[in-house]
Amino acid sequence: MVFAVLSLIAVAGFAGVTRLTNRYGEQQKALARRMYARGLNDQKDGHPDRSIEDFRSALGYDRDNFQYQLSLARALRDTGRTREAEAYLVNLWERSPQDGFVNLALGRLASRQGQVEKAIQYYHNAAYGVWPSNAEVNRRNAEFELIDFLLRRGAHAQAEAELLALCATLPADADLRTHVAQLFAQLGKYERALALFDAALRLNPTLPEALAGAGNAAFQLARYRAAEKYLKHAVSANPSDAGSKDLLQTSSLILQMDPFVRHLRSSERIRRLRAAFDTAGKRLNICLTGADADSPQGSSLLSLKSNWIQMKTRLSHMTNAEGDTSDAAMDLISEIEQQVQLQCGAGGPSDRALLLLAKARQGADQ
Amino acid sequence: MSDSRSSAVHEVELPTHETAMQRFTKNISREERFFLVVAVFIGIFSGLGVVCFRLFIDWTKIWLLGPMPQAGDWRLLVAPSAVGLLVTLLVIYVFPQVRGSGVNQTKAALYIYNGYIPFRTAVGKFITAALAIGSGQSLGPEDPSLQIGASLASALGRRLQLSRERLRLLAPVGAAAGLAAAFNAPISAVLFVIEEVIGRWSAGILGSVVLSAVSSVVVVRWFLGSEPLFRIPAVGLVQPTELIAYAMLGIVGGVAASLFAKAVAFLRPRLRALPRWTQYLQISAAGVLIGLIGYLGTPQVMGAGYEYMDQAMHDQFTWKMLAILAGLKIVATTLSFVSGTPGGMFAPTLFVGAMLGGAVGGVERIFYPNLTGSTATYALVGMGVLFAGFLRAPMTSVFMVLEVSGNYSIILPVIVANTFAYVISRSVQPTPIFDMLTRQDGLDLPSMEEQREESILRVEDAMQVPNAPVLEAAETVQQVYQRIQQSEADVFLVRLQPTGWTCVSRDVLKQMNGEGKGELTLISSLPTERLPYLHPDLPLEMALRYVYQSELVPVVSRADFRKLEGVISRDAVLNKYRVVSRTESE
Repeated sequence: MVFAVLSLIAVAGFAGVTRLTNRYGEQQKALARRMYARGLNDQKDGHPDRSIEDFRSALGYDRDNFQYQLSLARALRDTGRTREAEAYLVNLWERSPQDGFVNLALGRLASRQGQVEKAIQYYHNAAYGVWPSNAEVNRRNAEFELIDFLLRRGAHAQAEAELLALCATLPADADLRTHVAQLFAQLGKYERALALFDAALRLNPTLPEALAGAGNAAFQLARYRAAEKYLKHAVSANPSDAGSKDLLQTSSLILQMDPFVRHLRSSERIRRLRAAFDTAGKRLNICLTGADADSPQGSSLLSLKSNWIQMKTRLSHMTNAEGDTSDAAMDLISEIEQQVQLQCGAGGPSDRALLLLAKARQGADQ
Repeated sequence: MSDSRSSAVHEVELPTHETAMQRFTKNISREERFFLVVAVFIGIFSGLGVVCFRLFIDWTKIWLLGPMPQAGDWRLLVAPSAVGLLVTLLVIYVFPQVRGSGVNQTKAALYIYNGYIPFRTAVGKFITAALAIGSGQSLGPEDPSLQIGASLASALGRRLQLSRERLRLLAPVGAAAGLAAAFNAPISAVLFVIEEVIGRWSAGILGSVVLSAVSSVVVVRWFLGSEPLFRIPAVGLVQPTELIAYAMLGIVGGVAASLFAKAVAFLRPRLRALPRWTQYLQISAAGVLIGLIGYLGTPQVMGAGYEYMDQAMHDQFTWKMLAILAGLKIVATTLSFVSGTPGGMFAPTLFVGAMLGGAVGGVERIFYPNLTGSTATYALVGMGVLFAGFLRAPMTSVFMVLEVSGNYSIILPVIVANTFAYVISRSVQPTPIFDMLTRQDGLDLPSMEEQREESILRVEDAMQVPNAPVLEAAETVQQVYQRIQQSEADVFLVRLQPTGWTCVSRDVLKQMNGEGKGELTLISSLPTERLPYLHPDLPLEMALRYVYQSELVPVVSRADFRKLEGVISRDAVLNKYRVVSRTESE
């Protein structure tokens, strides 16, 4: 009987306290939401410190709320309070180690702190982690951030490996392919970059970034004809693209000056050779006027001048461009342009074109 | 120790078809069973009460200080002082028993008032402590919860007309339930009640205390969730040398705890000695000062401060700020407590510990950047340190940290740091805080720490080497009579077969020998009465029960009851007590 009465009282107590705690819980959650909303507004209005206080208050009323903790951690990180941000992020990570948001935030934090290994680990976790929505896009963005971080750190081999892995899962999206191609180009992997730009252009033939990128990649690969084609399209698609315009000008000049272009008549080939030879000679003369003849640099320039004079005689008697003289002349032009650039700085567009031609020849010889 | 009991040790009962539950129910009396069930109900009611108490505190805080107390808010200045006046009136005119923390009041109920705590005390403590804490007084809800639990238990016990002995035991049962609910930590609550309130491990009450603590925690978790109070990442102690850093924290914490205790001990009697009219203003004045601390820039020190402990564990303060908060919290809590504001010392102690721990960890990391412990780790260890140093409950302090964090990996640093803090605190402040408070109140309750450290006299301290030969039961009267001729003793111990002891006097042996019974064995000629015997490690007071029954009591080995370690006599026991009392008085 006693226990029955006690049980009844307990049941009544449970009912009463349940009502109270429900009301309490609703009130706490409402307060937390209010504070959180205020924090978001403060963040929007450019008051990060106030938003941090609001997020903290929100957490005071709903301390396990994942979103509030993440927002607070992000706000702290964005205001440079990385240590404070890390404490919350690590806490969130303990609760949910697969969460993409948390791993990405931790990756960004580690990258800011220069902790390479940790950053790579968290970015990887983010790239393979769980995302509540837009999983594919978020994962890819995490990978892009990681590659960007690696490039900034100069870890080119790791960045290339990540890019290659990323290529395997790229969808048929011209913008994305262009972005990846640009990253390959940044790494100096122009062959891969050009292939990806081409792939992007197959999907969207008028994409200015892809055209410019392809032009640049082809230019770097000394494929000036292809470069000229891409760059012409790039400039017409985006006339304000000064970089492409400049490259186009250089490519065109190279194609106009190159005496070894296929299918040229012999007379034209000789004309081009002589024109290039004169350009190099003029540059050498200008450089010699400012140089000290007694210095080692001056004497090497004088020696080049002497060679140039000898070659000038040989060239004037040249009737056939297929002989050794044309190769020797071109070698001398290369040597003069390189030396002059070293001692007197960069020359005009024609000199630049000659230098690139010389490099392309060396590359082809090797 | 009787022979029947010793035989019980050796005779192993054969297993029967009885189940364990049947044996259990058979072995405990009906009243004990009733008491255990009552303990469960006490736990449930205490849990419900504590949930309401926590809700009431939070609502009061939001209502009085706003949902987001900020420095510079006028409410921080006004609320503690204005509510302080109301609390003063309630304490003086309506609930005079609710001043202070509640731990000593519960102890007093156990030792002085036969477990009687008026129900009115629970109501008064609930209202006044919630108002005080909610308005920003620097006190916590745990000790009041302990008293509310004890008061509910006492009221229930009286309603159920339990015996005086049971009623007395109900106070600690309720106290454990209240504290467990407040901390969401049953083990710590049980340990604290045993360490501080009951003062001994008693099998009779342990079951009830555990049941009530567990049931109250189940109720609290039902309503408020089962997450630990603080959640920190697992602690990896990379190098054992890092324990030195935690030991440093223990030393700093021990000093801080001693200063805290000394401040309370110094100010409390002085404030009480002030004219009576000042009693009306003391709580309010403390409120003004605490409000001022909050208003001027550190609202974190107001109230229990759990949310700020959580922030400290998440590295939200610099070490300098943590140190400032620790110092100001000591000031604020001392003001609140010595003014007689109802409220507890547990939460402020944890607050000071967390802030101090974080600050010490921060400073240590400046000098040793390779330390792997996070601020959260140091804050948690700091909590244990202050708990051990200030409240002087070393075992509770270790388990409390484990339970509130749910993190076992922190145990080594906690044990190391707490030990240092406890030892330092004891040397600086010999009387533990709760004992000091009871003495200031004019009560003489048993000090659990002093009891723990009292040196116990044991049988071995008074036993003597037997100066007479030990006789065997199988020997003849004539043989033993010849043997005792070389001895001057008057009484001889006889070893019985297979076990047991008796004694015989020289006169009896002489008489039997004279009566021609020389060929008879001792066993056949002596009365069958057996002597009680003792073991060397038993408390000496046990010997007092037997030395009046027999001139000589054998002291035997626990491993072999036939092996005589010594003998003990009434004179030897009394002599030992005389020597000890003379030494103590000197």
